[in-house]
Amino acid sequence: MRIVIVGGGQIGSSLARTLAPDHEVVVVDHDRAVADAFTAIDAEFIVGSGTSEEVLGRAGIERAQFFVACTGLDEVNIVACAIANRIASPETICLVSRADFLPGSQGHLEQFGINRVLWPEAQLAADIERVVTAPGAIDAEVFAGGVIRLLEYRLGAGSSLIGVPLGQLRLPRRSLIVAVKRAARLFVPRGTTMLEAGDKIIIMGTPEAMLEVEAQVNQARGGGRLKVTIIGGGDVGLELAERLEQASTVDLRILESDPGRGELLAARLTRTLVLNGDGTDLAFLESEDVGRSDVLVCVIDNDERNLLASLLGRQLGVPKVVTRVSRPANLRLFERVGIDVALSARGAAVASILHQITGGTSRLLAVLEHGEARVLELTVKKDFTATPLKGIGTPEDAIVGAILRDGTAIVPRGDDRIEPGDRILVFSTREAADRVQAYFSGTGN
Amino acid sequence: MRFSLVTHVTGIVVRVFGLMFLAPLAVALCYREYSDAAAFALSGVVTTLVGHAMRHAGGKAAEDAIEGMRRVEGLAIVSAAWLLIAWFAAMPYLWAGLGPIDAMFESMSGLTTTGATVLRDFSQYGRGLFFWRSMTQWLGGMGVIALFVAVLPRLAIGGREIFFAEASGPDDEKVSPQIRRTAALLWRLYAALTVMQTIALRLAGMSWYDAVSHSFTTLAAGGFSPHPLSIAGYQSAAIEWVIIVFMFIAGANFALQYRALAKRDFRLLSSDEELRVYAGVVLAATGFLSIAIWRLGAPGDVVRTALFQVLSIITTTGFASVDFQLWNDQAKAILLGLMFIGGCAGSAAGGPKVVRHILLAKSTLQELRRTLHPRAILPVKLGNRVVPAHIVQGVVVFFLFYMLMFAICAAIVVLLGADLVTGISATAATLGNVGPGFNSVGPMGHFADLHPISRIVLTFAMWIGRLEVITVLVILRPEAWRAGRWSSSPSAHT
Repeated sequence: MRIVIVGGGQIGSSLARTLAPDHEVVVVDHDRAVADAFTAIDAEFIVGSGTSEEVLGRAGIERAQFFVACTGLDEVNIVACAIANRIASPETICLVSRADFLPGSQGHLEQFGINRVLWPEAQLAADIERVVTAPGAIDAEVFAGGVIRLLEYRLGAGSSLIGVPLGQLRLPRRSLIVAVKRAARLFVPRGTTMLEAGDKIIIMGTPEAMLEVEAQVNQARGGGRLKVTIIGGGDVGLELAERLEQASTVDLRILESDPGRGELLAARLTRTLVLNGDGTDLAFLESEDVGRSDVLVCVIDNDERNLLASLLGRQLGVPKVVTRVSRPANLRLFERVGIDVALSARGAAVASILHQITGGTSRLLAVLEHGEARVLELTVKKDFTATPLKGIGTPEDAIVGAILRDGTAIVPRGDDRIEPGDRILVFSTREAADRVQAYFSGTGN
Repeated sequence: MRFSLVTHVTGIVVRVFGLMFLAPLAVALCYREYSDAAAFALSGVVTTLVGHAMRHAGGKAAEDAIEGMRRVEGLAIVSAAWLLIAWFAAMPYLWAGLGPIDAMFESMSGLTTTGATVLRDFSQYGRGLFFWRSMTQWLGGMGVIALFVAVLPRLAIGGREIFFAEASGPDDEKVSPQIRRTAALLWRLYAALTVMQTIALRLAGMSWYDAVSHSFTTLAAGGFSPHPLSIAGYQSAAIEWVIIVFMFIAGANFALQYRALAKRDFRLLSSDEELRVYAGVVLAATGFLSIAIWRLGAPGDVVRTALFQVLSIITTTGFASVDFQLWNDQAKAILLGLMFIGGCAGSAAGGPKVVRHILLAKSTLQELRRTLHPRAILPVKLGNRVVPAHIVQGVVVFFLFYMLMFAICAAIVVLLGADLVTGISATAATLGNVGPGFNSVGPMGHFADLHPISRIVLTFAMWIGRLEVITVLVILRPEAWRAGRWSSSPSAHT
């Protein structure tokens, strides 16, 4: 499959790196200096304007199945998609950085031949919102239209889940611990595995079961309103605040160092307290009692300051710290120094684009732990013999998290059977993903 | 400030006002009141001639300068025009035998839609004069100047400044980007509502003459009635209900009503913060007032009377469906409080306006929050829009001056011999353009017994109240008079 990418920035290069092994990738960028980043990638690099018909022709646009416009300029992206659509008929994906371009009720960008508009900041805000609103959890996802939820927790020293073999743990029915991450290693636990303090665990289950799980894991935290502090009122901060304002149980404040931007935030937001100050100023954080927040979200446009603000928050005693990371290389570093969740807008966008491009029979629902694990939705092949789960030789490092059959979700135990035609949600490590797909669906990438 | 320009434009306004005398002239002729007819004809001729002379006194220079009218000149024109028009409108009263102070009081009370009267005996005066009295309120309700901006091509451009100088409320809200069209559309809506109310009142049992007179003074939130006992003289629940409905409309923002009608989107009304607060205050006050006068009649009558009286006072109309002078002090306290609220901005109502109270309350709350969070950015919002800081500040200043004017005028009236309740209520009722107060200036009483100087002071209170205090006070600043000397170029207009 030929994929043309206009824009060789971080999103472009990250996409190219992931897609190049399996696909013909052509990257177009007018900046010669960018080319250096692509020398290690098995993709073609063309220096030229993505809005030039001639350049796109050289990139082989007429044979391309996908066209991704991800330069830093919204207008360039839109025009590039429109031109690509005029010469050939690839699926066009257009990245924008402002809400104005998102398809409203009119779907006004369709007439430019754009199939999908993507606003990475909004995606990130949506991701952060899920994490923020799941009490105690450090990551949260929803699958299959909401019938299955996934939560990730970090176990404290006092947790009741510690020190007992998993087989004997009394977790709610319809919930399942699908993975444990211990000291940078992620594995699928067995019945004999014992959890330790400091482990991160990933649990899947039905929404009702997950409510019980939440209650069981967060025995300490009582009810009441969720106090959320956002540091940084940029696009992500504003978008996140607007989303969180919808929930009436959230008390929100947002710290912004630019007074002009602060005025704008205060004008747009109705229930949020907008404070004008530097999120890395310890005295200011203390005077506003930031330490008593339940969640601290740092979305400043600068990794170093973000890290500093997050660490200050942690020092002040905030139980959950979520941080935006711009440079993907910093993701792991951030989590290593004690930040609960590090997320990147580009990561969210890349995952979303990859999802669209490599869709097919398996759908990649989520990428967890910075690519180490993923959740796949598979349709079980027709010649699969129905067998109880415990009799299946599932590939190692993979676990069936849910069976979707006749509109209901089953979180399976060993006795449940997988039948041909079922749709299943499989949790797997990165390495096992292909084998899992081959095993259940008979096709691999 | 360029006096030639101010004289010129004021002249234009006064000259057209002369034509207004044709209406009462026709009515007087209809009822064969020939003496009054002569008064109206004479007043009309004098007004037109004076206006014409003033127009030409400005000369060619003023005619050219009109497009570069400055804000301070707009304020001066509006203030001057209102005073002059009130003077000319007083001529028929002079003819009918009132003294100059009383004639001016009655005329100003009409144009400012106050509804306070100095007439002792209604039977002495003809129908033509009562028609004129109601009509001045109708003209003043939506704004005489706004009417002339709408109809006079000469004011198409310079009209902008004078339109906003006269409009009520802190926000300059428009229904069309063109000021002339805005004025015309609002006047059309106002006239249509007047016709509707006239028909409704006729159906409820009034004569055509009474129906027209009361529609004029209801929609203007004025309160003059040709009947000496006001609405209480008709003893009709149907009439009271019709007037209740139209008083509520007169106290609501006409621009908002126009937009809701034009777009057929009545959620605009229900989502408007000021209108909601206005309705809420009316309901709450009606509840409290009903309790205060519960024993005075059958429950249905009590609630209707309470609602009528609350609307009459909060919209600053000033009709009386009963003699509320006879009520207890608790009920009077509620009514006095309502005098300091007023209707919505952009309505025909006077008083400080609901929206100013909302802004004042919100800005006070934000100041309290600021003590807790010194670094917080706390804009004052109305609906979902941020109200600019200078407007909020203007509101605070407005209240300061409003209360200052109130204190000064009330002190003068009381010092000149009125009792305390009379002095305070008379001042609140004239400054807020309400009309009747309590005790000797109650709904069945009149202002004629006050000291002559008190009557002059209250005439000024009406004028200042209608033009929302600041408009008048600004032109009293020496700076406003000097400005023209060193910035005389028309392009200095902002």
